[in-house]
Amino acid sequence: MTHILERPTGPLGGSHDDRTDAIGSNVPRKEDDRLLRGDGRFTDDVEPPHVLHMAVGRCPFPHAQILGIDTSAALEVEGVKHILIGSDVRAATEPLTVLRPVPGAPDLHYYALAQDVATYEGQPVVSVVATSRHIAEDALELIDIDYEPLPHVVDVIAALEPDAPVIHPHVLGSNLLVSNRDESGDPEARMAEADVVVAGRFRINRVTGLPMETRGIVVEWRPGARELTVHTSTQVPHLVRKQLAESLRLDEGEIRAVASDVGGGFGLKLGIYPEDVLACLHAMALRRPVKWTEDRSEHFRATTHAREAVHDFRIGATADGRMTAMTNVYATDLGGWNSSFGSAQLSSVVFNGPYKIEDGSVERRVIVTNKTPIGAYRGYGQPEVNFAYERLVDQLARRLDMDPLELRAMNMVRPTDMPWRNPSGAVYDSGDYELCLRMAGDAVGYDEHRKAVRGPRPDGRYVGIGLSSFVERTGYASSRFLARRGSQFGAHESVTLRANRSGGVDLYTGVSTMGQSSETAFAQVTSSVLGIAYDKVSVHAGDTAASPLNTGAFASRTMIAAAGALKDAATQLRDKTLRLAAWRLETEVGTLEVAGDRVQHRSDPDRYVLLSEVFSMAILGQGLPPDEEPGLEATAHFEPPDAAYSFGTAAAVVSVDPNTGDFDVERFVLVHDCGTVVNPKVVDGQVRGALVQGLGAALSEELRYDADSGQLVNGTMMDYFAPSAADVPPIELLHTEVPSPVTTFGVRGVGEVGTIPPGAAVANAICDALADFGVELSTLPITPESVWKALREQRA
Amino acid sequence: MSALEPEVDITVTVNGEIVTARAPARLHAADFLRQRLGLTGTHIGCEQGVCGMCTVLVDGEAVKSCLMLAVQLDGRQVQTVESLAEDDRLNPLQQAFKDEHALQCGFCTPGFLMTATALARRGERLSRNEIREEIAGVLCRCTGYDNIVKAIEKHLEETADADAARVAR
Ligand code: FES
Ligand code: FES
Repeated sequence: MTHILERPTGPLGGSHDDRTDAIGSNVPRKEDDRLLRGDGRFTDDVEPPHVLHMAVGRCPFPHAQILGIDTSAALEVEGVKHILIGSDVRAATEPLTVLRPVPGAPDLHYYALAQDVATYEGQPVVSVVATSRHIAEDALELIDIDYEPLPHVVDVIAALEPDAPVIHPHVLGSNLLVSNRDESGDPEARMAEADVVVAGRFRINRVTGLPMETRGIVVEWRPGARELTVHTSTQVPHLVRKQLAESLRLDEGEIRAVASDVGGGFGLKLGIYPEDVLACLHAMALRRPVKWTEDRSEHFRATTHAREAVHDFRIGATADGRMTAMTNVYATDLGGWNSSFGSAQLSSVVFNGPYKIEDGSVERRVIVTNKTPIGAYRGYGQPEVNFAYERLVDQLARRLDMDPLELRAMNMVRPTDMPWRNPSGAVYDSGDYELCLRMAGDAVGYDEHRKAVRGPRPDGRYVGIGLSSFVERTGYASSRFLARRGSQFGAHESVTLRANRSGGVDLYTGVSTMGQSSETAFAQVTSSVLGIAYDKVSVHAGDTAASPLNTGAFASRTMIAAAGALKDAATQLRDKTLRLAAWRLETEVGTLEVAGDRVQHRSDPDRYVLLSEVFSMAILGQGLPPDEEPGLEATAHFEPPDAAYSFGTAAAVVSVDPNTGDFDVERFVLVHDCGTVVNPKVVDGQVRGALVQGLGAALSEELRYDADSGQLVNGTMMDYFAPSAADVPPIELLHTEVPSPVTTFGVRGVGEVGTIPPGAAVANAICDALADFGVELSTLPITPESVWKALREQRA
Repeated sequence: MSALEPEVDITVTVNGEIVTARAPARLHAADFLRQRLGLTGTHIGCEQGVCGMCTVLVDGEAVKSCLMLAVQLDGRQVQTVESLAEDDRLNPLQQAFKDEHALQCGFCTPGFLMTATALARRGERLSRNEIREEIAGVLCRCTGYDNIVKAIEKHLEETADADAARVAR
């Protein structure tokens, strides 16, 4: 380990000897000034001359046969330039590809416009381009589409009933897309021997990530140059380029995808959507720029949803509280089609959470329903399964009359057990899970609460404390792992560093900027390794024409993989810089160091040469040592050997009114370990933001479909309740910092953790508060109404 | 332009500059600022008056510009996020946001800055809970709000102190 791993104290200043402070310090963010001044460049800010506007007509039914489409009246409207229907798209394109297929899942052939049958409300059926969005929308109203509604099913369990309509009958015999199972040991035998078995069915609500910037795309096509330039709000420009090339039958070399500023992604902007293909087709047909910005009511139906799942979970244990087996069979909703990332896949990977279970099994069943497709969202299955196992651990504690904290502690994987392989094959790398648990307990006064006499407070409310411990996979367990699962992307990250004549370094990355502070963190690592001042690193992000071919920003993987590539590239640049400077200063390489804006003698800082001079030597190829080539740049790719597992425990203190079910989260503490911290403020910001999303999903957000009509009931901002500043409970964050042995600098992913524990922590707190009433909650979201109903059931 | 889109002439002062423009009758103010004046710092997140991304000052008051028509701007004073920086430097409110890490993706930031600018003009200190209520009309999906509240609190204290000092002098 090098000195870089130590967390320095001071911030990065302009002086020449504090360069390694860049890692671990709160440097000012690279991204901030432009965003604060209204100079961000989001996709809708791009407005090429003579741009045309696209509007998309969507199926109003959950399931319908399309008998005919008459566009003649719309084509008459002044300003309307072009209309596409399903058969046009079928002739001109291939179906959209899936980036992260569920192993064994058949291809559902998803075209950008519905062919004969539409399978969810909101599926694109027709698209119009006109001189303004208003005109395009007016024209849509004039298009006559003859639908024949078909029987539909929206509930994941009902979709498996024998009488359910089969949604993709050409490919599937039922609505089960695929199921797969991981198992180790003999969980059924252990269950049979167990002194106690607790079991439950847990329902996780359908939510959406709701980035404040909706999706959007601006396309320009220059046929003579065979160049399709696509500005798009995406987390993965290089994967967008790949998918567009496949769908549009173009060479990748003919496409440039650019994502400059992205107004939040959270997993929803991973890969292409139908509208991306449509805008390209229109632009190519018209040889004019075409723009589409999703409006919010479209967003609620056209951008992927998340989470919806039903988990059946069992835990077997001895009478003294040792967990001996876990089984988990769960149904995850796919929606009407398989989106780029499909339904969440990480429930299986960490289904046993932090508990040392040798005999366990987990089975994932992916179910097709007539609803908006599910896609990736922060957590990608881990919040869902955490709700199931952590709720059940509390029920086990009550059955055994044990302290829930002690029950957790005695079953956790210990630091000395690791690396430890769980029943689904995940290798937990390192960490002190119990320490986080106990820190969380201490922070909320857990022991005093347990010792206090149970009963209402003077205000009549009952107070409970709920815990939720978790292990989170961050990054990917190598490209071999991904290859076995058919994933269409790598596990690596790539970066180019290029010296410039101003004495600075240009950093090129395909990772787009969406709030995760990657520009800042990348510059920090570069500054730290190379020794150059942080301010002298200019970051150019998200343009496929100006970045090495990388993977992208998702799965909390960016920093894990990029840190290695940055370290490698910066080391190459530093070594050559030192060689050139040594030649120039007529000294040995070993006596020199890069410091801020110069290369100087370690022992005599007054003997130096400016980086601008050294870099110019290389760029001009003048004054070089005889054996050196001109130029000074490096591209590096890095794949971490394995995924890194973050971990932690949340504790919620909740008061409940037993008459109304009204409850208040009075405190929420998260103790969390993400390994080496590159920028403490950024880490806290990521964790806090994800926690508030997690609290929203647990307590107020839910996309509800009406079973009879199959319609989304609450698809607007007015009735989908994402937390506002006034809704957020007091949150306290605590960290431990155990460097991961499997990543460069010991970092673990940080972006998703906050979404995982809120549901279980709050539910456990409410059930603790209402233990005397026998309330056990098993459905998200938890609302005063659901608590009141649970109370009433128990009283009845 | 087509006959489908009747247009109206308006005169409006935007960030201190008098603008005369011809606006389609159904164009809302946020689109007008973005598309006609190129002031893309004002963002659009819902066009329903819920998210607050489009918040600007009209005659000094924070309003959601997606709920106004461009023609309603006629004769008014509009201030957008582009006007805040002073001499190519962040103003104290913007600096407070930067210092407190009150932005991540930054899409919501103009909405909060304009809301806070209007708040600061009242010259009052507010408790954190009061600030939370005041800014509840602007959503942020990235930060969890805490740092936004801290940045605004800090800025309100500084402005209240500065006002007090001015009065004392
Ligand atoms: S865009 Fe105006 S409030 Fe959302
Ligand atoms: S910083 Fe992304 S929405 Fe607020």
